[in-house]
Amino acid sequence: MSNARTYRVSNSEHNQSLTHRLSEWFDRQASTLFITPAVILILVFSIFPLVASLVIAFSRFRLRAGSYQVRFVGLKNFEKQFFGSEQFHFLGTFKGMSVLGYAVSAVAALLVLWWLYRYCRRQFWWLGFIGRLLSAAMGLGLVLLFSATLLSGHQFGTLGVTVFYVFAGCLIQFVIGLSLALLCSQPIRGKTFFRVVFFLPLMITPIGIGYAFRMLADTTKGPFSPIWQLAGLGDFSWSTDPWAARIFIVIGDSWQWIPFVFIILLAALENIPRDHHEAAQVDGASGWQIFREITWPQLVPVAATVMLIRLIEAFKLVDLPNIMTSGGPGIATESMSLHSYYAWRSLDLGQSSAIAYLLLFTTVIICVSFFNYVVVGRIRRNAA
Amino acid sequence: MPVHSRSVVNRLFEAPAIGRMAPASALIVYGLLAVWTAVVCFPLYWILITSLKSAADVNGGPVYLPWIDFTPSLHAWRELLLIDYEDTLRSYLNSIVIAVLSTLLCISVGSMAAYALARMTYRPKFGNILMFVLVMIAAFVVIGKLGVDWKLAVSVALAVWFLLVRSIGRHFTKSVGNADILFWMISQRILPPIVTVVPIYIMFQNLRMLDTHLALILTYAVVNLPIVVWLMYDFMNGIPLELEESAQLDGASRFRTFWEIILPLAKPGLAATTLLVLILAWNEYILAVFLTTSNAQTIPILVSAMNAGERGILWWSMCVVIIVMIIPVVFMAIVLQRFISKGVLLGAVKG
Amino acid sequence: MKKTTSFLSGVIGGTLLASVVGGSAVAAEFDGIEINILTRPGPVIAQRLVERGEEFTAMTGAKIRVNEVPFAELFQKILTDWATGTNSIDVGVFASGWAVELADGDLLEDLTPYVEADEKLQFDDIAPFFREFNQKIGGKTKLITIDGDFQMLYYRRDIFDEMGIAPPRNWEEYMAAAKATHGKDLNGDGEPDYGSCIFKKRNAQSYFAIMSVAAAFSQTQGTGQGFFFDTDTMKPLINNEAWIEALNVYKATGEYGPAEELNQDIGDTRALVQSGRCALAIDWGDIGPLSIDEAGAAIRDKMGATVMPGTSRVLDRETGKLVDCTPEICPHAVDGINISPFAAFGGWSGAINKKADDKVKAAAYAFLSYMNQPEQSNLDVTMGWTGYNPYRNSQLDDTANWVAAGFSEEFALNYLGAIKDSLNNPNMASDLRIPGTAQYQGNVLDRELARFLADEITAAEAVANIEEGWEEITEDFGRDSQREMYKSSLGITN
Repeated sequence: MSNARTYRVSNSEHNQSLTHRLSEWFDRQASTLFITPAVILILVFSIFPLVASLVIAFSRFRLRAGSYQVRFVGLKNFEKQFFGSEQFHFLGTFKGMSVLGYAVSAVAALLVLWWLYRYCRRQFWWLGFIGRLLSAAMGLGLVLLFSATLLSGHQFGTLGVTVFYVFAGCLIQFVIGLSLALLCSQPIRGKTFFRVVFFLPLMITPIGIGYAFRMLADTTKGPFSPIWQLAGLGDFSWSTDPWAARIFIVIGDSWQWIPFVFIILLAALENIPRDHHEAAQVDGASGWQIFREITWPQLVPVAATVMLIRLIEAFKLVDLPNIMTSGGPGIATESMSLHSYYAWRSLDLGQSSAIAYLLLFTTVIICVSFFNYVVVGRIRRNAA
Repeated sequence: MPVHSRSVVNRLFEAPAIGRMAPASALIVYGLLAVWTAVVCFPLYWILITSLKSAADVNGGPVYLPWIDFTPSLHAWRELLLIDYEDTLRSYLNSIVIAVLSTLLCISVGSMAAYALARMTYRPKFGNILMFVLVMIAAFVVIGKLGVDWKLAVSVALAVWFLLVRSIGRHFTKSVGNADILFWMISQRILPPIVTVVPIYIMFQNLRMLDTHLALILTYAVVNLPIVVWLMYDFMNGIPLELEESAQLDGASRFRTFWEIILPLAKPGLAATTLLVLILAWNEYILAVFLTTSNAQTIPILVSAMNAGERGILWWSMCVVIIVMIIPVVFMAIVLQRFISKGVLLGAVKG
Repeated sequence: MKKTTSFLSGVIGGTLLASVVGGSAVAAEFDGIEINILTRPGPVIAQRLVERGEEFTAMTGAKIRVNEVPFAELFQKILTDWATGTNSIDVGVFASGWAVELADGDLLEDLTPYVEADEKLQFDDIAPFFREFNQKIGGKTKLITIDGDFQMLYYRRDIFDEMGIAPPRNWEEYMAAAKATHGKDLNGDGEPDYGSCIFKKRNAQSYFAIMSVAAAFSQTQGTGQGFFFDTDTMKPLINNEAWIEALNVYKATGEYGPAEELNQDIGDTRALVQSGRCALAIDWGDIGPLSIDEAGAAIRDKMGATVMPGTSRVLDRETGKLVDCTPEICPHAVDGINISPFAAFGGWSGAINKKADDKVKAAAYAFLSYMNQPEQSNLDVTMGWTGYNPYRNSQLDDTANWVAAGFSEEFALNYLGAIKDSLNNPNMASDLRIPGTAQYQGNVLDRELARFLADEITAAEAVANIEEGWEEITEDFGRDSQREMYKSSLGITN
């Protein structure tokens, strides 16, 4: 540092003052300069497209010679998804609700009301209330959706499929990721080996995984076909059964993302001080007790955030269903991203953007709800 | 407990010492780990041997072991690496250039922002932001409805906003804070790429930048920026303040502090974040499909190009491409794994 | 070194090219010109373009660069590249049906003057359907065909002869034959094989198969009648018994097919056919050349080809019901069976970007013409891996090239006969060629078909949904303009 200064002093006076003034100016503007590149990048590449996409979602968009044609159509694109000819595709087929469906919806409605009531009684802030109202509406809407479709024997659309992928996928990834992390946190040999090997699936491109799992799942030419035949399932193909196909996609997605959950949870586990643990062991506590009383509470904040990241990414699932089943059989495995992608591909950009916006809306509400009620709640409770 | 009174069964289920496992649980633990190793490795193994199979071996039914079940051949490897090497090499180099440069850009911009948010205070006026949004919407309407040149409209809009900020900006009282900015940046990750891809396409088209490396580099950098800010923010927060303060007392500028003190300290975090961002940029498909035609085509597109439609999927060639794709990342991961394992990502995630 | 090459190419190009573009060429006319072609990934279609491109470069000096994008993104790419004025692509090689949308946006160079000045092309040798319908939009030639596409029925001649079954002429016979052969070991590997293989995967090419089936039920009066829309009202001709019957037939064939047929694309089906596991299959012309391929050893000289199955009950457009064929109702029927070979996809064709540089356009045309000329194409169509199928009469009349490629004389006659029967059928059905085709077919039809096949909806619901979806698209694009485009695509000019 002092060397640099002597060097500068030895330069001409004028020059010194200029550089000096310049560096001072830079220093004063440091706070702006540090953050501006990121803000500009996000504004140009995220916010501008977001707004432009919104415009397209409210219009019919056609490419013509030399330019494009935008015709404003109001809410038509959204209307089509909710009430029009795409209703079955986005929401599902509605043909009356079963008794079970009514029962489940009623219970859900009561629970939601009670939850809101409790919030109003305890503390009330209008912004918080609006947020809770939105979450409640989303939650209730999804329950109603599944009640009217799944529980009433009808088919649900891409919204339901996406929600299934997200929750089933995240649950599996969390359970297996945590189990692996717990196993690896035991005093074992070759920890580095396992860590590197378990990390591998994350490095493969998702489309590669899609194709690889399509090979593996092939019941006539795949590696498991002899087992499949032995089990007497030679005539059954996973790809022609809606639930089997969906589950297969969740398996592929999980295979790729378990490493992510695993690696972070393992790090969290290793960060927990060993002394409590060992003290408990000396006291003769069982493994389960140690986990519940000592490990789990310390793990919760990390786990909640990891799952938040996964939640955000899971909503974007598109490569796997596109490659493994092309959204089939029927529309059974089509996620919302894929739905939007297919609309784009047939040049229906208005629909494509409308669906994308609906996806964004769903993702934001679910992720923010999860963040506010689970992540923040847990951390607060933990801190208390 | 005296040693001689322990039965065999007891010894099987009890740890011989604190910090070691009982034989029975060791068996279970290693067993489960082995099972998962198989789950992870089998698809990889299948990809590897498929790349050595001929069409007949793939279509005829499962064969498992090279030299025993089938005769391995390097035909797919030869085709991609010796005969058609131009295409492969071009995609490969494109991928390397794009992934590396976008990661560098993303990491530098992102960690600067993360540092700024962790150490400096921002109080942008709520009103100013609102005005910015309104002015921009007005610009869009003008561009869309009246067909005004977008460069002109955007410049005018920016100038108007600037004037507004200077004139009435100081009357606003409500302002947002660092936490809001952080949340805003992170929330960009929620955007599904499909929402933004069409406007981005049109934007690059207007800038004559379609099918260039720069287009993908910028796009990937932005898409991954939220992750960097998120992970690095907490990491920066974890660095003790005293070091910087003493540097600042010595008269070092913010930039120098950042460069000479913060970055070296943040190395493990940077390494882990870099690896993650690199993997994401390396494997990205949808955006690459939209934004490239031939010059900047990346290697994931080569993977899907091996689906030759009515001639079926060229599984063998596809597997070669997948393997070729994994190799550099695995290498990187092994180099950087000690950083990842040190719980670096953890700091961020603790929230 | 470089000098020699360019000198050589100048000499060769000068002599050869003089004839390529109507005698107007000078030595190495296209030196320094680069032509960017965009098509789907090779080896199919693209690889032969690359090879012929190298020859062309040697002749004329024009450099041919073949760029490839995944099939599903191909049309998007070309349209956006040309419509937004990016113009990084000079020539698109794609399905002829897609061209209408491009022509509608005035993005395609009119090739009529080029064709008129080009003797080497032998325009009249091109089969009438391709010459008059497929290459033309609104009466102007805008495309150069390099591949002739329509679907045919393939059967295992050895098995059928052995069992004494005649090649099916209608769908009842098809189902009977499929039933009789299903579960038998057809390739001698000891495992039961399939009676019928028809690709049914969603978001792939299954909608071509359903249209192939439906064509015979709905179109009776010749190519100009069309079978997608009513030419007066532009109402879809979908919500009727013809399509319901076609859907049911298509689904019923699955009973005699592989268990995972719903997830099988044309490529998967072809692999099965090639390994000898299918008694019956619907496919484009490709099976012929593929059967003499190395991978097709199991079916070499064992395949037979015939026109698509027909039907004796056809659609009455007034009532939407099926009625029995009479000579008035089905003027083109043979033995009371109405046949309508469907030009699915229309074949890979080249089109030139209107905004390209004039010199580039001339060079690009010369190259497309070079691909199409009998001298080159008559050889290319005999090779399975090129993906090119016959579209010229001279390709069908002479078996010599085919025998030289490895066909037996008997199979060559059978195969070419089936193609001739299809191509010269006056009732050949044209693929949909109006703006929004991708939405009509790739989106609505494909999705409803997939849902029907997956038992999510009934055939009646499927056709009702397709009608509704198509009406919406028509409204979006404008009913009147769509009707005019549709009529002009069928050659109706009034």
